[in-house]
Amino acid sequence: MITVENLTKRYGSTTAVQDVSFTVQPGSITGFLGPNGAGKSTTLRMLTGLTPPSSGTATITGKKYAELPNPGRVVGVMLDAAAQHAGRTGRETLALNASLLGVPKRRADEMLEAVGLTHAAKRRVGQYSLGMRQRLGIANALLGDPAVLILDEPANGMDPEGIRWMRGLLQDFASRGGTVILSSHLLGEVQATVDRLVVIGGGRIVANGSLEELLAGSGTLVRGLDPIGLNQALTAAGLSLEPLHDGGLRVDATAEQVGRAAAAAGQVLLELRQSDGAGLEDLFFQLTAEPAAAA
Amino acid sequence: MSTLTEEIAPVAPAKHRAEVATALPPARGQSFLKLVTIELRKSVNTRSGRVLIGAILLIALAAMTWQFTHLPEGAAGVDGFLGAGSTGAMLILPVIGVMAMTSEWTQRTALTTFTLSPRRVRVQLAKFVSAVVLSAVVMTGVVLLALLGTALAGAVTDHSATYAGLGGLLASSYLMMALNVVMGAAFGAVIAQTAVAILVFFIAPTAWSLAGPALFKDNANYLDVFSAFGRIAERDLNGMLPETLTAIGVWVVLPTIVGLWLSSRREVK
Repeated sequence: MITVENLTKRYGSTTAVQDVSFTVQPGSITGFLGPNGAGKSTTLRMLTGLTPPSSGTATITGKKYAELPNPGRVVGVMLDAAAQHAGRTGRETLALNASLLGVPKRRADEMLEAVGLTHAAKRRVGQYSLGMRQRLGIANALLGDPAVLILDEPANGMDPEGIRWMRGLLQDFASRGGTVILSSHLLGEVQATVDRLVVIGGGRIVANGSLEELLAGSGTLVRGLDPIGLNQALTAAGLSLEPLHDGGLRVDATAEQVGRAAAAAGQVLLELRQSDGAGLEDLFFQLTAEPAAAA
Repeated sequence: MSTLTEEIAPVAPAKHRAEVATALPPARGQSFLKLVTIELRKSVNTRSGRVLIGAILLIALAAMTWQFTHLPEGAAGVDGFLGAGSTGAMLILPVIGVMAMTSEWTQRTALTTFTLSPRRVRVQLAKFVSAVVLSAVVMTGVVLLALLGTALAGAVTDHSATYAGLGGLLASSYLMMALNVVMGAAFGAVIAQTAVAILVFFIAPTAWSLAGPALFKDNANYLDVFSAFGRIAERDLNGMLPETLTAIGVWVVLPTIVGLWLSSRREVK
């Protein structure tokens, strides 16, 4: 379990992270979402004791990170896949950390196999592609069999196959009681993986909730044979709506309400569904753009 | 440097973890000895680390070979061989000290290191110890080469081998080495950039030893670290205890403390 309370980080007169609070419960995957420079990495670095916060606290399983006697056995961390010594082999990188964590050396080989890097075990990390380094970083995070995973942009540089593999790995990890937080600036990457979202923009939390909760606010998408007629019919029924560029309408109502209003007015519908992916994307831009514009 | 682009074999998701979870030994804290061992391993498990150590031994070997072919009149003394061999080593070994402290920041592996061991001062102290141990091992390599060279000179040339004063020679070699390496490490801890730290390490004390006497006359002795090292290595302070302590304090102890403080607060990116 991860608890972040009122974390703030100031650099001189700039505030990178302001009063950020959230929790991540065991058995769930939380996506930490925000555009570049929103304060994601700074928050994760404060969470792992790499950056001292200006104020506020962060705890993992009830303890401050620096107070964990052997943190790698409790929490697996990957903040930057590129931060590995280019001159060491993949196997040596893991074997070294296995020794520090007090786990058997064979664990390094098992993890290499688990992330599909056995064939590259004896190659130096400098020859790895970014996707392979991400896999090595994930192997490193899993080395101590932790209960918590903190991953900064883990899907960065991975091919679609790699992203699908990681999704399976994380969902399996969470289903066995693990706690996962992963950051991303790409919605598509996390939408299918996470249960909850914490959205950060301009250093502040702008949304925090389950995926369903956050999506529910985005309404219903409807498209009719006669867009203008449909618009009038729905407005007359007292539903608030917003026309989209492609002739569709987004309505703040359930699909049933929209369907009934359209049927009552004799409007032919071509499409009627919960506004999902596009909705989340709009939500994301809307949520993250506001504080930036206000600042 | 080429990048591997081939396909990675697909893997069944995470079934390994449940299987081994209970098989792992219980988690324990990290002992200081463990940290030192890890740091030692880090300094020899990369190609650049091994090249540095190899270079020191090769330079020593080359110098001793020259010594071997240019033996002075009289007995072939171990002092000549050790002197020839350790000159280069004394110059390069501090670089091991500097790099012990800087390479993690330059290579960005500090991110992993301090995530796995968040008590940074312990890690930094382990780096100091590891640098001194590694240097002592390399120095022992140089000493063995010197002994070998002396014996060989006694056996195959018409010079006789002599090991006069070996004990004192060894004591001063190891002391000098340790002081230089600790000073290098202290500079590396303050300035976390390998190239800049090495440059400052080599230039600042020398610049002082040149400029100091002109500015402060005899008082410059208080800050002349090379003379202080020399006196300690000879184990004869010549009644200059305050000068020696001040110089060591300013050039070694102070940067060590400042370096530990800085690196415990430095933001890891």
